[in-house]
Amino acid sequence: MKHWVGRACIVAVSAIAVLSLAAPPAYGQARPYRAPRTADGKPNLSGVYQAISEAYWDIEPHSAAPGQVRELGASNAVPGGLGITDGPLPYKPEALAKKRENFAKRITLDPEIKCYLPGTPRGMYMPYPFQIIQTPAYIMIVSSYARAVRTIYMTDQKEAPADSWMGWSNGHWEGETLVIDTTGFNDQSWFDRAGNFHSDQLHVVERITAADADHLSYEATIEDPQTFTRPWKIALPIYRRVEKNAQLLEFNCVPFVEDLIYGSLRKPSSN
Amino acid sequence: MLRRLVAATALGSAIALLFVSTTTAQTNYKVPRLADGHPDFQGFWNNTTYTPLERPKGIDREFFTREEVVEQMKRAAVDEAEQTTPGTVADVHYDFTQFGLDRSQAPLSVNLRTSLIVDPPDGHFPPMTDEGKRLNAARAEARKRAGAITDAAQNQPLSVRCILMDRDGPPMLAGAYNNNYQIVQAPDTVMILVEMLHSPRIIPTNGRPALPASIRQIEGNSRGRWDGDTLVIETTNFTDMFMFAFQGASADMKLTERFTRVSDDTLTYRFTVNDPKVWTRPWTAEVPWKKGVGPIFEHACHEGNYSLTNLLRGAREDEKRAREKKPASN
Amino acid sequence: MRTTFAVIVALGAWLMAAPLLAHHAFSSEFDIGKPLKLRGTLTKWEMINPHSWFHIDVKGEDGTVVPWLIEGGSPNQLIRLGVTKKNLPIGAEFIIEGYQARDGTNKAVGRNFTLADGRSFLLGGSAPGAAGSDK
Repeated sequence: MKHWVGRACIVAVSAIAVLSLAAPPAYGQARPYRAPRTADGKPNLSGVYQAISEAYWDIEPHSAAPGQVRELGASNAVPGGLGITDGPLPYKPEALAKKRENFAKRITLDPEIKCYLPGTPRGMYMPYPFQIIQTPAYIMIVSSYARAVRTIYMTDQKEAPADSWMGWSNGHWEGETLVIDTTGFNDQSWFDRAGNFHSDQLHVVERITAADADHLSYEATIEDPQTFTRPWKIALPIYRRVEKNAQLLEFNCVPFVEDLIYGSLRKPSSN
Repeated sequence: MLRRLVAATALGSAIALLFVSTTTAQTNYKVPRLADGHPDFQGFWNNTTYTPLERPKGIDREFFTREEVVEQMKRAAVDEAEQTTPGTVADVHYDFTQFGLDRSQAPLSVNLRTSLIVDPPDGHFPPMTDEGKRLNAARAEARKRAGAITDAAQNQPLSVRCILMDRDGPPMLAGAYNNNYQIVQAPDTVMILVEMLHSPRIIPTNGRPALPASIRQIEGNSRGRWDGDTLVIETTNFTDMFMFAFQGASADMKLTERFTRVSDDTLTYRFTVNDPKVWTRPWTAEVPWKKGVGPIFEHACHEGNYSLTNLLRGAREDEKRAREKKPASN
Repeated sequence: MRTTFAVIVALGAWLMAAPLLAHHAFSSEFDIGKPLKLRGTLTKWEMINPHSWFHIDVKGEDGTVVPWLIEGGSPNQLIRLGVTKKNLPIGAEFIIEGYQARDGTNKAVGRNFTLADGRSFLLGGSAPGAAGSDK
C-alpha cells in the first residue's frame, strides 16, 4: 500500500519546508544552531564576548580619515568600515544638521571621551569585552568600558521609572533568540564616535541569537520618532572571547578624565 | 500620593524592630538551593547599620542588650526625622528623610554587636606595623601637599569623585543610604551589583586563577568558591588608591569575604583583612545583610556629578572675591 | 540604667558625626549665608544621581518667570517606593526653602520641599500633618 509512503513523503516535505522557513541567523551556519541549555531550559548565552567591527567609530559605511589629535597620529586615525546599518540613517532634516554639528565638535561633545556610560546599543559594539551573566529572572550584561551595567528583566517587567543612560530593558525568549526591548533612555549618549545621536524617545529592540558555539548574531531595530523619519536596523556578529581565563578587567576611566573635565576649575598655581 | 507611601515605610521600620533578627544562625533553617545544589543568595539585600566598625570609646562589652539597641534605633529614627537647624552647616543640604534616605527608612537588622570588628575581640583594629605607619604618614603628607580639599577634583574623597564608595569596597560597607545590592547566581559566576556607582562585582566560582601581580585594580580581583553552604570570596591585586586607602591598607591587602544565609531575610557577611605590611595581625568584621527590595535604579554618578563642578567653581569664586577685596599689593 | 544611657549617648554622638562629611562638600557648593525661600511651579524633576535636580519656574514680582535649579537627594529610594517620572506633580506649585549656590547662579539646595497648600511633597518633612512630624 502506498498510502503511508505518500503520507511519510508529505511529512518529510513539510518538515523540510518548516526548516527552511525558520530564518537562519544573520551569521553562522544555515541550519539554526541549538545552544546548550541552562538549568531552566533556555539557550545559554553566558560568557565573555566582544564585537570586532569599525562601527564604534561610525556605524555607517565610511572611509579612512585622520584623527583629531595630531600627536596621536595613526593611533587616533579612523579606519574605514563597511558599516552595520541597513542604509543611510533616516535623520529628520533638523536632526541631520545636529548630527553634522556633533561630528564637527566631536572632540568636546562625544560622551565616550568623558568616560560617560555608552548607552545602548553602543555598549554592545565598543572595542572592549562585555559579559553576559544569565539567570532565569535577570540577565546582566556588563561592559568593561566604564563598568556599564544593563539589567535585563525577564520576569518582573515594568515600564522605565525614570530615564537612564543604559535604558530600562525587558527581555523574553523567542525560541533560540533573546529579544530585549529597551526604553527609558535619556538623550545624552551617542551611537558612535561620529556624532550619530538620539533623543529620549529612543526605543531599541535587540535580537541576540547564538549563531554557533563562539558567535552571537546581534541585530537591533532603532526607533526614535523625534530624530528619525522611520525605524532602522543594525546587524553584526559578536565574538566569544575564547582564550583561557577570558574575563573583564576593570576599566574605571573616571580618574583618567578628571583633568579633562575639572582641570579648568583647579586652583591656579596648585600642583 | 507620595505621603501614602510614608505610612508603608514607617510600618516597615516598625516591623523590622519587632522581628528581631540576630546574627546567629537559626539551626533549623533550610537554605533554598539552586539546581547545582549551592545555596541561593539571590535577590535584593541591604547592609544599612548603626553599628560602627570599631567599638566606641567607653564601651568594652561585645554585645548590647536587645532593649538597649531597640531604644537606640527608636531614638535614631526620631532624630533622623527631625529637620536640621536653619543656619547650621548640617542644614545646607537636602533633608534625607524627604527622600527616604534615613537609616531608619532602610531595611534594618537589629544588630546587638557593639562593633562590626569581631576580631581582635576588643573590637578595635590591631596595632599598625612600623611600615604601615610610614605608608600612611606618606599618604597624609601627599594629601597635605596637594592642598585644600577644594583646590582640585583630585583632592576630594573618592566618593565625591564618583570613583569608589564604601558600599563598593571591597569589603562592602554601608554608607548613609542606598546601601542596596542585587545578587544573581549563574553556574560559574556570582554577580553582586552594588547600587552606588552601579559597581558590578563579577566573581567566578570555577577556580579561575588570580591575575598576575602586575595587574592592579581599584576593587582588586575577586575569585569565589563554596565552603559548604558559605560563599567565600578572595580578593587581591588592589591598587594603592590615590592617597585614599581602605582604613590605611596597602595594595597587597588580601581580603576574604564570607556569605552565609542564616534565614530567609538575613545574609551574614563576614570579612577578614590580611595585610601584614600594615597590621600586626589579620582583623575580621561581621555585618548582617537584610533582605531589601528592588529595583536598583542606575546610579550614573560620574555622569550626573554637577556637585563636584559646582563646589570647585564656588571655591574659585570665593577666592576671586577675596582677591578683589584686597588692596592692590606686590 | 545609667550605663545604658551612657551607651545611647555615645552611639548617638557617633551617628550624628557620620553624615557630616557629605555636608562639608555641600557647604562648599552652597552658601550658608544665602538662605532663600522660593515659590514656583515644578516643570521637571531630573531623577538622576548622585543628587537629583528640580526645575522650578519662579515668578518674580514683575511677572517675569525665572527658572531655578534646586538640588535634592538621590531618587533611587523613592523609585523603590513607586515614584516614577510619569506620576510626578508636574505643574504643581512648590515652596522651596534652601540655600543659594556659592557661584551666585539660580541654583540652590532644597532643605525643604513643600507643596504650596502646605502638604509635604516628599516623605516626612516638617509640614503640619506630614507623616513623621508627630514621631
